[in-house]
Amino acid sequence: MTTSMEKPSEPREPELGKPSGGPGKAAPAPSPRALTRARRRQAVVRFWQQYRTHRAGLVGLAVLAVIALLALTAPLLVGAGSQSVTDAPGGPMEAPSGEFPLGTDQFGRSLLALMLWGTRVSLTVGLLAAFLSVAIGTLVGITAGHFKGWYATVVMRVTDWFLVMPTLVLAIALATVLSRSVWTTILAIGVTTWPTTARLVRAQTLSVESRPYIERSRALGGGHGHIMSRHVLPNVMPLVLAQTTLVISTAILTEATLAFLGLSDPTIVSWGGLLQDAREAGAVSSGNWWYLAPPGLAIAVVALAFTLCGRAIESVLNPKLGVSR
Amino acid sequence: MVTRVPHRSLRPRRRLRLLLASGAAALALAAGSVVPGNPLAPAPTEARADDGTTTLTVAVAQSVDSLSPFLAQRLVSTSIHRLMYDYLTNYDAKDNKAIPGLATAWEPSADKLTWTYTIRSDSTWSDGRQATAEDAAWTFNTMMTDEGAATSNGSFVGNFEEVTAPSKDKLVIKLKKPQATMTALDVPIVPKHIWEKAGDFSKFNNDKDFPIVGNGPFILTDYKVDSYVKLKANKDFWRGSPKFDELVFRYYKDQDAAVAALRKGEVSFVAGSPSLTPAQSASLENAPDIKVNDAPGRRFFALAVNPGARTKDGQKFGDGHPALLDQKVRHALFMAVDRKTIIDKVFQGHAVEGEGYIPPRFGDYFWKPSDGQKLAHDPAKASALLDEAGYRKNSAGKRVGKDGKPLDFRILCHATDPNDKAIGKYLQEWWGDQGIGLKVDCLDNVSDPWYAGEYDLAFDGWSVNPDPDFVLSIHTCAALPAKAKETAATDNFICDKRYDELYKKQLAEYDPAKRADLVKQLESRLYDTGYMNVMAYPNAVEAYRTDHIASITTMPSAAGNIYGQDGYWSWWSAVPAAGASSSGSSDSGSSSTGVLVGIGIAVVVLAGGGLLFAMRRRSTAEDRE
Repeated sequence: MTTSMEKPSEPREPELGKPSGGPGKAAPAPSPRALTRARRRQAVVRFWQQYRTHRAGLVGLAVLAVIALLALTAPLLVGAGSQSVTDAPGGPMEAPSGEFPLGTDQFGRSLLALMLWGTRVSLTVGLLAAFLSVAIGTLVGITAGHFKGWYATVVMRVTDWFLVMPTLVLAIALATVLSRSVWTTILAIGVTTWPTTARLVRAQTLSVESRPYIERSRALGGGHGHIMSRHVLPNVMPLVLAQTTLVISTAILTEATLAFLGLSDPTIVSWGGLLQDAREAGAVSSGNWWYLAPPGLAIAVVALAFTLCGRAIESVLNPKLGVSR
Repeated sequence: MVTRVPHRSLRPRRRLRLLLASGAAALALAAGSVVPGNPLAPAPTEARADDGTTTLTVAVAQSVDSLSPFLAQRLVSTSIHRLMYDYLTNYDAKDNKAIPGLATAWEPSADKLTWTYTIRSDSTWSDGRQATAEDAAWTFNTMMTDEGAATSNGSFVGNFEEVTAPSKDKLVIKLKKPQATMTALDVPIVPKHIWEKAGDFSKFNNDKDFPIVGNGPFILTDYKVDSYVKLKANKDFWRGSPKFDELVFRYYKDQDAAVAALRKGEVSFVAGSPSLTPAQSASLENAPDIKVNDAPGRRFFALAVNPGARTKDGQKFGDGHPALLDQKVRHALFMAVDRKTIIDKVFQGHAVEGEGYIPPRFGDYFWKPSDGQKLAHDPAKASALLDEAGYRKNSAGKRVGKDGKPLDFRILCHATDPNDKAIGKYLQEWWGDQGIGLKVDCLDNVSDPWYAGEYDLAFDGWSVNPDPDFVLSIHTCAALPAKAKETAATDNFICDKRYDELYKKQLAEYDPAKRADLVKQLESRLYDTGYMNVMAYPNAVEAYRTDHIASITTMPSAAGNIYGQDGYWSWWSAVPAAGASSSGSSDSGSSSTGVLVGIGIAVVVLAGGGLLFAMRRRSTAEDRE
């Protein structure tokens, strides 16, 4: 992949930037902090204006907003008791009806309520695992790109090794060894999906570090930490942001896969867990489609929404991907 | 800065199309797998092939651990051994009484220490040699002298002093102490002339030279690990040849796949081990040409409590919760369990509420707690007991001990058993109401923490044989491991003096009525300790195609199971159906609506995806040159 990516916002040299639309000579020169704030606000506005032109991205965002709202309000919408097996209101495996729009599971709990609760787990695990993965990837990528030499060689060979290992196999191995909980799932996904991010970030780091102002900063006495955190990191952030949104959908899918394979905490309701429950209850061979289809579709919709958003962000931030200006 | 300009917007679009295509493919696959009896499947295979040989195919979920009778412990393997080799005695399919097998008659001496068996003369090995007392003596002697050969059935010969074969038709077994199980020696007798050359018994799996020489109703002709076991009928079997020419055990890891195969007619029988789920049996009951056999099972399903793991010489190990050493806590835990709800909700009626240790199917030994003794479901009483034991609720509603630590337990559950997980959910809520925390530890391999004593509670279950000696022996002190964390015969480290005394008494008692009485006392003692709390006796729920199998014997014959019997009755007696149906009649109305629904969903999603794609095209159209 070609490494030269350009970031719309300028490198951090605030003293050279002019406050656009500033009041002019009358007022005293605004402080550098205010200038930075104004510039950032502008960048956000510009980003949003460009994002708005991507209809798919907007659809994805709207879908995500609705789902996030449902997840947050689940306790109000369906009540905390809806996960209880002892006060389950319905009979086992009821078909959809007025009372239970998506039918019931083998305990007689409303599947719609379980779906809503599952949203929380799937989103939480997806987000946290994606952040963990991207954090590891960014750390490895920036340090490998910055230090070069034997360190980079070793780290990148490790990355390559993780890259060629099938993610799912590695995650299954991890989830089997560790005790079953949500955190295990997050860890298993996080530590197995970072290599792509690491490679991307390293490439961007190399390109950023070849710019003259880095050399200037170094000449002025900037140390490794300063260069990496103050100059390289802000410049790879857009890439990292886009990557995160894309990794989330992978993480949600992997979480569902692990839960479906019975490798997550069985007492927690998640979409993948619902599919696993359905399989174990024999919903597949008895044709109870209402038990299987909704969690599957929900996973697909959320993954799709995150992908749409990620693509849109990517094309806004990366001019090479062909975006109308 | 110089940047090269790539082809614009090609990549995202191709990606999107790929995404849509793969989504559609996934949906089609899902629809195909959701829908039973799907029309794309191959035509059903028939029980009767073109050349007139009849094959009975059985779908099993368990993989074979070993084909060597000295090593095999799993139900599937021991069931196959029942077919391959004859045992000294067999159990009557009607009432589980001992009837002749390889031995035609047997008799204890007056001092109860010498048993003489008469071996039949009309049993021959499949290579033509006669099966004699010499083979039986060699089998027992090998188990007594070679530790590797004692792995699976060593418990039967532990009390043997000497086994000899004075003549071809006489087998004499001398005992150290009287043993009541001498007519229930579930040991396959193997041909000496073949097995002498086997070498190391702890490594020999008996799966190299096919067909394997045997003298049972079937002869094993082929075996592939986790794939199938093939047997052919032994036409010379002394009780008469089986009616089916071939018997195939085919391995299906997924029960749903096995049920789908049964619907399509690819298999004739789905083993009820694990049982079919309530949803599966309900849907199969309405299917044509399929009979669901829902019979009282021979298993119990219990809540086992770790009584503090220890070795034979009293060395403690493991990390069982100390609160469970208090009988009151154990009783309180079980009193908070609503067994009726478990039967109604988890088993959905396909089980019987638990009472004593031995299932009611074995009427002679079945025992019920008396009214005063019974730990009935009573949450209020459970709370009182816990208070009495010193675990009071704190302000947050959690029970804490005198040391201020909250009462939190772990329960070991088999990740492969849906019932364990389901009941775990109920226990969490019932015990949560009592202020007790519960962590459900579901593992694929529970053996490691189990043998290490690293659990508080566990879901436990055993198949009970017509002679209850084995399931009783696993709770004696003698069964405890010699070294910490070592594999041992013990079930969950119970060692109780009174229990052991009663156990020894029943083993030495040759009078059936008196022995049954002692066994009941044993069960009563076990019940009172609160270490093994039987919640249910699950039914054996299995199904077969009536257009493949005309009739089959259950055991007990009135209402019993077919797979995993104590004998070869089911497969030996199975009669092929006269004319196996030729068309795919298994497509019922409900499944075709399933097809329609599946296709409908696929169409809707495809349409939605298409719309999205079109919009995407439109939005990029302005950008294109």
